[in-house]
Amino acid sequence: MTDKQENRIVFWVFLSPILFAFLMVVVIPFFIGAFYSFTNWSSAARANEVLEFVGFKNFTDSFKDPSFNYSFILTVVYTVLNMVAINITAFLLAVFVTSKLKFRNIYRVGFFIPNLIGGLILGYIWQFIFNNAIPSLGDLIPAFSFLTDPKNLILANRNSAVLALIVVGTWQYAGYIMMIYVAALESVPAELHEAARIDGASTAERIRHITVPMIAQAFTITMFLTLVQSFKQFDVNVSLTAGGPSTMFMGKPLFGTELLALNIYNTAFVKLQMAMAQAQAVIFFLVLIVISLVQVSINKKKEVEM
Amino acid sequence: MKRILTVLLTLSVLAALVGCSKKADAPKAAEEVKGGGSVTLVQNKPEIDPQLQAYGALWAEKTGHEAIMKSVGGSSSITLGQQLRADYAAGEMPDIFIIAGIEDYKEWESIILDMSGEPWTKETSVAFTVDGKTVGFPVAVEGWGMAYNKDMLDKAGIDPASLTNYDAYKAAFEKLDGMKEELGVDSVVSMAAGPEMGWVTAHHNFNSLLSNGLPYGDQSAAQDLLDGKVDAKRLGEYADWVELLFMYADPAVLTTGNYDSQVGAFATSKAVFLHQGNWTDPNMAQANATFKMGFAPHGSMKADTEGIFVSAPSFYVINKDSKNVEAAKQFLNDMVFTAEGQNFMVNEAGMIPAYANVNLNPAGQLSKSVQEWSAKGGVYSWNQYLFSGDFRDQTLAPIYNQFANGAIDKAQFVQLMTEAFQNR
Repeated sequence: MTDKQENRIVFWVFLSPILFAFLMVVVIPFFIGAFYSFTNWSSAARANEVLEFVGFKNFTDSFKDPSFNYSFILTVVYTVLNMVAINITAFLLAVFVTSKLKFRNIYRVGFFIPNLIGGLILGYIWQFIFNNAIPSLGDLIPAFSFLTDPKNLILANRNSAVLALIVVGTWQYAGYIMMIYVAALESVPAELHEAARIDGASTAERIRHITVPMIAQAFTITMFLTLVQSFKQFDVNVSLTAGGPSTMFMGKPLFGTELLALNIYNTAFVKLQMAMAQAQAVIFFLVLIVISLVQVSINKKKEVEM
Repeated sequence: MKRILTVLLTLSVLAALVGCSKKADAPKAAEEVKGGGSVTLVQNKPEIDPQLQAYGALWAEKTGHEAIMKSVGGSSSITLGQQLRADYAAGEMPDIFIIAGIEDYKEWESIILDMSGEPWTKETSVAFTVDGKTVGFPVAVEGWGMAYNKDMLDKAGIDPASLTNYDAYKAAFEKLDGMKEELGVDSVVSMAAGPEMGWVTAHHNFNSLLSNGLPYGDQSAAQDLLDGKVDAKRLGEYADWVELLFMYADPAVLTTGNYDSQVGAFATSKAVFLHQGNWTDPNMAQANATFKMGFAPHGSMKADTEGIFVSAPSFYVINKDSKNVEAAKQFLNDMVFTAEGQNFMVNEAGMIPAYANVNLNPAGQLSKSVQEWSAKGGVYSWNQYLFSGDFRDQTLAPIYNQFANGAIDKAQFVQLMTEAFQNR
């Protein structure tokens, strides 16, 4: 047995457990799911129901469903706002914790910790903050007394509830993205900054012309991660707003903060239209792939090599 | 040396893989040796979960079977139906589960066991039957109306017996609203219409429209709506009632509150009325609510309606594909015929028994009130289950929610409801 052969065997043996898991829980279900999206499948034990092919009916029906269309639009809006909010916050935090501060490691840990809390719990914590803590703030400080008015409850209005989702999403995810920016910022050679400073460049100019181009690779990663994370947002959505408050769209009353993932879940488990939900999940997958490929290719063009 | 190391590592990975598969088999073998069956039960009353766990353990100890009790629902974000669908898809359908009515029955028809002839069927009149077959074991008798704080009504000089129509409620609410400081309450009614509380509005309150004032078992009003025929007068009076409830509720609880904040407001004497049922008794006990309370009818009509909504809300059914059908049957019979089972149903879980051979009475004041109403025949049916869960949760609940938020007015509420029935 040559070394090369042996290496190959070791490679596959070590890879096999994860490959097996990946195959069983991702690849195979994905194709089964795609198959079901073309049928009239319903998981419940309804009598006398036979699996039939219905072609693209589930897909065309999905685009006629007001709640699916609404969630689609809402999710795109949410994703854009959330990406901007997370990246700006994370970048500023990263600049902050890489400067010459005392206790900067403690700050890093502090900003990162929310990422370690599960999204469901986080949603319930923030639901308490928005529903109880903030109104009672109005009791304490006279200037904020408008907060005590139930009409101004953040989760009782559609627009402010979406904003609340973004605040919580940012709080949860900015620390993680910050870590990526920190690693990138620390790899920027100090000589470049020194040389620029001697040439008379201001701090803003140095960030614009040295830091940002030098960490363009990090932008590719963070943009991709935040895009995918925001698009797939589910747990915080469920626990923080549960889809409410409701609103009107295409002349129908529906849930106003129901993001796409939650909408698909409700289609499957409340409306019991499993096959249609599956079709929506396939649409969701395709759209996410296209958007993220576009995003990565645009970002890649902006990267510079040392 | 390096080669030996890699070989060793490779072997250990392989051993781990083999080891895993072996371990998975181990518990099964142990079960067979024990000889007893195993009963998995899934139910939808999280408020009695601790009592049910204790009873399950007791039953398991007595019979030698294994008993796994699971509770789903309440304010958590997954409903029983969702859990069952997930379990079914995963091939882990419980042995005993709950159906709430004909819509649920239709969903699970193919796996529900015919229990006709079981000993318990002779002791109850509210079992769930389809085409002459007894398929559902009534869990309890339940009821809801407007729960009131008797002490506060006395203070305000309002006789709860007079609260039988819209005008009486309107006058009472106005009077109580003026006495809020004196009574120390935040609002008159504790009502919830938030995104998680669609079951209070679109299930329970909605039933006022379907059955208030009609003879028990009369489904005509519901049937008309199912056919898309809307009785504008009945709906109009109902809309007045919904508006009245929303107007005198605490807006914070109404729009964003959950079960705990809604029930808590009443239990801690921060509201005079509560729009809930007798299942809140354990919550009242937990909160040490000692004031006198009872149920008054809903005021959804101008005409007098002297009754509250009472029925067996849910039924245990047995999964006939299960390997443990006999143990599951025994579990249900034991609940009715053993002292421990009766003690669990009535004293521990505080439920009103649906069985004639059970002579215990629940301790909770609201449960007693339901028993009193039933005894004098002041009962109206539960017809909300004639509508699908999807229609109530996804179509009606957002309408109530918008009305509660003030996004739409009463006229728009009536219009949206009418359209919902016509386009169902």
